[in-house]
Amino acid sequence: MMARILLFGGIFVGALVQLFLPPLPVFGGIKPPVLAAFALYYALHRSPRGMWIAVFWAALLHDGLDLGGFGPALVGFPLIGILAHRVRLEIFVDGLVTQMMVGALGAMLAMFVAILLYTITGQRPFHFGYALLRMVGSGLLGLVVLPLVSWTMKKLESAIPKRRGYGWQ
Amino acid sequence: MNFRNKKLVYAAVAGLLLIVVFVLPAVLSRKGKGAVRGIVEPAERGTAGLGRRLSEAVSAIRGIGGAGEEKRDLSHELVRLQAELNKLREAEADNVRLRRAFKFQHQTPFSMIPCDVTSRNISGWWNSVRLGKGGAAGIEENHAVISPDGLVGKTTEVSTRFCEVLLICDPACRVSARIRGKEVFGLVRGAGTNLKGQPIARMDFIDKDAKILVGDEVITSGLSGEGGVFPKGVHIGYIVQTEKDRSGLYQNAQVAPSATVSLLDYVFVISDAPEEELP
Repeated sequence: MMARILLFGGIFVGALVQLFLPPLPVFGGIKPPVLAAFALYYALHRSPRGMWIAVFWAALLHDGLDLGGFGPALVGFPLIGILAHRVRLEIFVDGLVTQMMVGALGAMLAMFVAILLYTITGQRPFHFGYALLRMVGSGLLGLVVLPLVSWTMKKLESAIPKRRGYGWQ
Repeated sequence: MNFRNKKLVYAAVAGLLLIVVFVLPAVLSRKGKGAVRGIVEPAERGTAGLGRRLSEAVSAIRGIGGAGEEKRDLSHELVRLQAELNKLREAEADNVRLRRAFKFQHQTPFSMIPCDVTSRNISGWWNSVRLGKGGAAGIEENHAVISPDGLVGKTTEVSTRFCEVLLICDPACRVSARIRGKEVFGLVRGAGTNLKGQPIARMDFIDKDAKILVGDEVITSGLSGEGGVFPKGVHIGYIVQTEKDRSGLYQNAQVAPSATVSLLDYVFVISDAPEEELP
């Protein structure tokens, strides 16, 4: 129960953090992919059910708070969630380098999906150079954000009291 | 869950997502967004308020206590005076035209709604800000949003308690404009931000024979439709570069919008509704 509350609360706070972080003009105006990092964290550390809940909650918050139609995160986050969940038993999910690589690839894939959807639906103009800048930028930001999110969530989860058969201890 | 069932679940989820992305009507999408924003709004407002208080506290520590409120009052006064000045300038220009044409043109009066900026866009894909007031305060879609520096953008996706503002530098924001002091009209649309984060806009469809110079002031023409309120004479920015259109039929210009969007704390929405006091 506490873990579920932490899941919803953590992603909610993550959305607020992403909302208030300034955009980075040097990376095409994108923001650090905090919500994508949360989706990846839960995909790497949870059962399929936990992963789906986290992924859809993060995507709903992302697209709900963004302008335009629902879509970029609702498609992108499940995709990176599924991929990360599939490989989680074959990689060191708590290793720093692994998290950096998964964070970078996940953020780049989510950005690619957003570029694709915005271009197909005509909501945003497509410029190759700008798209490339955003892809590279999201990769670099994902490299930093996922390890930070993982570290924070590990600390918070370790602070939750565990149930060990004799009630709460 | 066996392999076959898993495949079915994935197919169902993918189908549902495709429907949501490509088929979902705008009304439903807006309702969904309204629900999500309603959940986040109290926390968002609280965080924005906390940030503002912290910034004011830092200002107070630096010896300029009370500057925040004073700045807000002065900004409101400045916008009022600028609007008045714009109206007078337009009235003067109208007067000259009327004397020449023996006709009278009625100019619609407007009032302003002061609004706090609660947050920026979450993804960075859109150049937008969210305001802490919405339909309940009399704000509707496609109304002009101004600051002491000039035109900020226009309202879009209005809910009861908050609304989104599409900034003048967003490619989806288009405003009918003209050059001050000249009968030269065009369409200003956003072109994003440069690598330094400064907003860029373009003025398209300018008469190819019109003489426009770098440094000319661009103002709203008041012709913007879409059922909104866009007064004429509101400062947008200055021409920084001109070029001929590829077709040869028009000329285009690069405009530097004056509103310093990154520093905005509050803005004013032009409205038909009666004026209200500052929060």
